[in-house]
Amino acid sequence: MHLAISLNIAAAVGEPVLDFSRISRVVRQAEAAGVDMVIISDAADQPSSSPFEATTLLAALATVTDRIGLVASASTLAHQPYNLARRFASLDIISHGRIGWNATLAQNPREAANFSRPEGFSNDDFRRRAEEFINIVRLLWVSWEHDALLFDKVSGRFHNPDKMHLIDFRGEFFSVRGPLNVARSPQESPMLVMSGLADTELDFASRRADIVLLNKRQPSEARAACDEIRRRAHEAGRDPTTIKMLAVAEARQEHDAGSLEDLCVSCGCDGIVLTVQPRVEAFVDFVERLLPDLEQPGFTKAKPGKTLRDRLASGEDRRP
Amino acid sequence: MSPRQMKLGLFLWATGHHIAAWRHPKAHVTAGIDIDHYIQLARTAEAAKFDMIFCEDAAGLREANVNIASQTSRSIGFEPISLLSALAAQTERIGLVSTASTSYNEPYGLARMFASLDNLSGGRAGWNLVTSASPIEAANFGATGLRPHADRYARAREFATVITGLWNRRAPGHDGESFSVRDPLDIPPSPQGAPVMVQAGASDDGRDLAARTADVVFSAAQTFEDAKAFYDDLKGRLAAYGREPDDLKIMPGVAPVVAATEAEARAKHDELQELIPDDVGVALLSSYLSISDLGRYPIDGPLPELPESEGMKSRQALVIEQARRDGLSIRGLARYFAGARGHWRLVGTPAQIADELQARFEGGAADGFNVMPSWFPGELDAFATLVVPELQRRGLFWKDYEGRTLRNHLGLKGPG
Repeated sequence: MHLAISLNIAAAVGEPVLDFSRISRVVRQAEAAGVDMVIISDAADQPSSSPFEATTLLAALATVTDRIGLVASASTLAHQPYNLARRFASLDIISHGRIGWNATLAQNPREAANFSRPEGFSNDDFRRRAEEFINIVRLLWVSWEHDALLFDKVSGRFHNPDKMHLIDFRGEFFSVRGPLNVARSPQESPMLVMSGLADTELDFASRRADIVLLNKRQPSEARAACDEIRRRAHEAGRDPTTIKMLAVAEARQEHDAGSLEDLCVSCGCDGIVLTVQPRVEAFVDFVERLLPDLEQPGFTKAKPGKTLRDRLASGEDRRP
Repeated sequence: MSPRQMKLGLFLWATGHHIAAWRHPKAHVTAGIDIDHYIQLARTAEAAKFDMIFCEDAAGLREANVNIASQTSRSIGFEPISLLSALAAQTERIGLVSTASTSYNEPYGLARMFASLDNLSGGRAGWNLVTSASPIEAANFGATGLRPHADRYARAREFATVITGLWNRRAPGHDGESFSVRDPLDIPPSPQGAPVMVQAGASDDGRDLAARTADVVFSAAQTFEDAKAFYDDLKGRLAAYGREPDDLKIMPGVAPVVAATEAEARAKHDELQELIPDDVGVALLSSYLSISDLGRYPIDGPLPELPESEGMKSRQALVIEQARRDGLSIRGLARYFAGARGHWRLVGTPAQIADELQARFEGGAADGFNVMPSWFPGELDAFATLVVPELQRRGLFWKDYEGRTLRNHLGLKGPG
């Protein structure tokens, strides 16, 4: 099974500030224990005591880790698609192919009020806009072919212009010519993670997502959503095993490797995302209690790959 | 009190500032996809005690003609805020200044990014405000094309007001022409409070905005007289905004090619100039003049009469003046500008280069310089090992950092 940890740094309110060295230590310890990826989000309903924005923190973390996948949440309201595509493409190169973008499809009213859209969006408009946004980002991420860069000093040809593509996207909300001005990802493209999915968005996720985070109260609900996404992916002509479904659970003292595997099986998922509270005690508890347990021989971990995409694909044949 | 000393910035640009830098036999050609290259450059600059490194930016290709673009290394590279955030974790003291556009960002989002960079780096962040003059960028952000110069600056003024209000924790709430923001910044105050504000626009609108809001201005000036006139004009505008002349540091760009002897330096420069294809040089010149079709004029003829552009007014005037003064053909001008992109070029020995820098610094035409090595890593190494020690020996540049924050390095007021 795959195991991720989720850290909402903005949930820190009135806590001692989690500085970079403390966060990076926890992430490095998780990496050493074989955790597949860390998902960092920074959105909250109130001012937090977190000193970091998620994508900038991810860039710094990329330079002090070398195997763990690094995912940041970034909102379609707070960014323009071209800027967001660049940021994540750039992070992907900095990390040698370990990056994912968590595109949350739930609207945060606080963002609309601070990003010059005080009127907000209707839920339907927000969803159509988010889908258009995600489609643009995906197109920009593949606007350079893998072998486009030639670096040929003698002939004077830096890249092959036939392998660089405009996207010429004109939609309802955005118009973007492209191409991206960042080279192609080391892992095909940054991983597209979707979370906060409403039932009406399962179809979109089944066609576009690489990873889906399912935040359900009951394992049976998670299982139903997994089955539905796999069924729709199959209908859309996509191999359902290429979408990794992860069930979100709060990290608890009673968790151990065995109970995590049981939870994963009962949810019908490919893995678990453990939410770790951004508090010093929670960090310590996670590192001292749970991480050593993951080293036990009985616990089935996916083989690490060089890129996050490879790493997640390596667990394909061993889904519980 | 120690005598006034110059500030030095290192202007990073993938393979180098010379348009043909990437073709140099020793240039690191994969710079645009190699983070380790940048970490090494940042460490070299930090070891040489540069005040800051600076990343320029455009949210799009640099060149519309795909054939021309494919003969340069500028179509791909790192997005600078993520690049500098990575470098923050790999350096200790050097300032980290990133460009970001007021036309294609929102103040709340950018305030968060730079506050985060300032926290990650322990107070070393700076923001270079640009309004983005390129229609290529505009096409990545909507179908309506490039906004007129005056509109871009109106938006930039409002942007600067809102973002500094967020950083300085002034009363929240803004409902203006371009932006509305309801809440205070949701990231706690960073070591510098407000990251250092940098600007480079040299038009009348640009100078006024700089006089009002900038801590540092990067400029382009070929001659001492131009540099001095710009320096005096901009410093003279500060009083109107209740600021002292020392509150703003003016750092012209300089493109040095240095070697132990003048002949060696000239040979190094000529070697690079030979690597510029004519079509690339002319295209680069065209883009600096904000016109698309210089290629249809005879390459050995003079520069034609040009209408004033909506793009970069100040840069255009500089280029035209240069051509008239030196009687340059389009080819000659193209090569000249391709080398240093309109900035001041110095080719010579460490002493010669130090003489020139000293003359402008002591002559009241500069507070420091933004150094633009022609190719990386070689010309940075040369400047760091040959010119920096010469400047230090003359007492013109410090021997070590004295504080922890960029504001402190630059001797600016404010927290940090």
